[in-house]
Amino acid sequence: MTLPTLRIFLLTGLFLWLPATNGWSQSATFSLTTSQGSRLEIFSRLNPLAINTIHSWELVLYTADGVPLNGAQMSVVGGMPDHDHGLPTSPVVTGEIAPGRYLLEGVRFHMPGRWLLTFDVTSAQGQESATLEFQL
Amino acid sequence: MTRILIAGCTLAAVVGLLAWRLLPDPLPAEWTSAQRALIQSLSLSRLPATPGDPSNAVAESELAARLGHRLYFDQRLSGNGEVACANCHQPQNYFTDDRTLAVGTQTGFRHTPSLVGLAYSPWFYWDGRKDSQWAQALAPIEAGHEHNLDRLQVVRLIAEDPLYKSQYEALFQPLPALPGAPRAASPLGDELLRRNWESLGTDLRQDINRVFANIGKTLAAYQRKIKPGRSRFDDYADSLTESSAVIPGSLLSKDELAGLALFIDQAQCISCHNGPLLTNFEFHNTGVLAIAGQLPPMGRYDGIRLARQDEFNCLGQYSDAEPGQCTELRFAKDDNELVGAHKTPTLRNITETAPYMHGGQIADLQAVMEHYNEAPTSMLSHNEAKPLALRPVQLRQLEAFMTTLTAPLQTEQKWLKPPDG
Repeated sequence: MTLPTLRIFLLTGLFLWLPATNGWSQSATFSLTTSQGSRLEIFSRLNPLAINTIHSWELVLYTADGVPLNGAQMSVVGGMPDHDHGLPTSPVVTGEIAPGRYLLEGVRFHMPGRWLLTFDVTSAQGQESATLEFQL
Repeated sequence: MTRILIAGCTLAAVVGLLAWRLLPDPLPAEWTSAQRALIQSLSLSRLPATPGDPSNAVAESELAARLGHRLYFDQRLSGNGEVACANCHQPQNYFTDDRTLAVGTQTGFRHTPSLVGLAYSPWFYWDGRKDSQWAQALAPIEAGHEHNLDRLQVVRLIAEDPLYKSQYEALFQPLPALPGAPRAASPLGDELLRRNWESLGTDLRQDINRVFANIGKTLAAYQRKIKPGRSRFDDYADSLTESSAVIPGSLLSKDELAGLALFIDQAQCISCHNGPLLTNFEFHNTGVLAIAGQLPPMGRYDGIRLARQDEFNCLGQYSDAEPGQCTELRFAKDDNELVGAHKTPTLRNITETAPYMHGGQIADLQAVMEHYNEAPTSMLSHNEAKPLALRPVQLRQLEAFMTTLTAPLQTEQKWLKPPDG
């Protein structure tokens, strides 16, 4: 098998492996590191993620030492930089449902493509932010 | 010699121009896995069950649908006895009319949108000023240029028609008594209607509002049954589970396949016209000219504000939903991006629902394609779409693809005509 053929074979295998049969839907879990080194883990309650359905995310914050970061104020803004527009809704963190675990309600995506979301966190350890980029 | 040279150059230029305008690109041999996934995501086979409406306790009731069906075709639900919902949302025209602007008791201000598949939409009207199908159904009844009736006369119609009264009271509470009440009253409308409304006690006003809201809920129960049917495109999309080869055949022709390829990629139609209903039910400013004789509308920017103020919204006292269930209303955005934005319509049956856009400003699909290819500057705020630089032959291919999306409705025939008796 020549190298280009092998590449095509491997890439085809990768695409078939990805959950592409569900349109644009994809994994609903993300892990980010904030500007202060905290860890932000994101779990979409809509799994797999899909367009045109309003849903909630759970945002789990840990300090750099792995301790749940409770009592934080969180907000999110985002949009599609390639289309020059924001989110179709205004998602809001409505509460802390367990220590360090926050509920983000009102999430919806209305287009396939590249999405960029920025999470701002204010807590006892100061202000920090994290940016999530993903493809729907 | 010079003449021959000029003639030769001119001929070459003309042939080149014609080739650019008319010669199609070759079709790809196969859809990529990503393209195949996009195409399949548009199939009606992927349409989930009709979403519930927690604000409407009778949304799934057959009796409510039967009452709503009868009311939908009843011209007594108007001030002049000549206007029913079906006047503009005509079943034989995929629940639109052939007009540029709707005509009720007078010519209105917007083009009649189709009702097909609308139960899947979180927002109603071109500007999304209503957040449920039942709340939407109430507004035209009291609009002066549409049905031009008032809510008290709606209650009287239900109370005075024995069939309506029995069906209504089988579904809801007994109708309120109206001793000494004026014939007509509403918080909207002319001064006399408003004065009459103020003369009623608070409890009676609420009782009347509740009956009025319930009537909207029955109309919604009926309209939830209006669903698109499978088209040639759906059969083609489903056939891709067996093969990803791009082969013109009995389902889609060469031009239609080329149009589909453009639709999901270069033409970017799928950005907004996505999912099995070919709409994201969201609001976009696409630089459509203002309606003749009207200022450019603020669109969703005003729409969301009106929805929040609406006494019949999901959070209001006439809604059957818990506040926590009203997620669309609670988390709706209201920023400047929404200036001039209107709701994306479905492309299902689009060849049969001309003219197009919120004011019927664009007469045919060819002109629609040219509009998006040009992406003109918006009269208000900015046009989200960007110029596409597609060739004329590609615009025709996109138009050809649109013809694959038309099919008879999935709705039972009995709902598509006035009820018997």
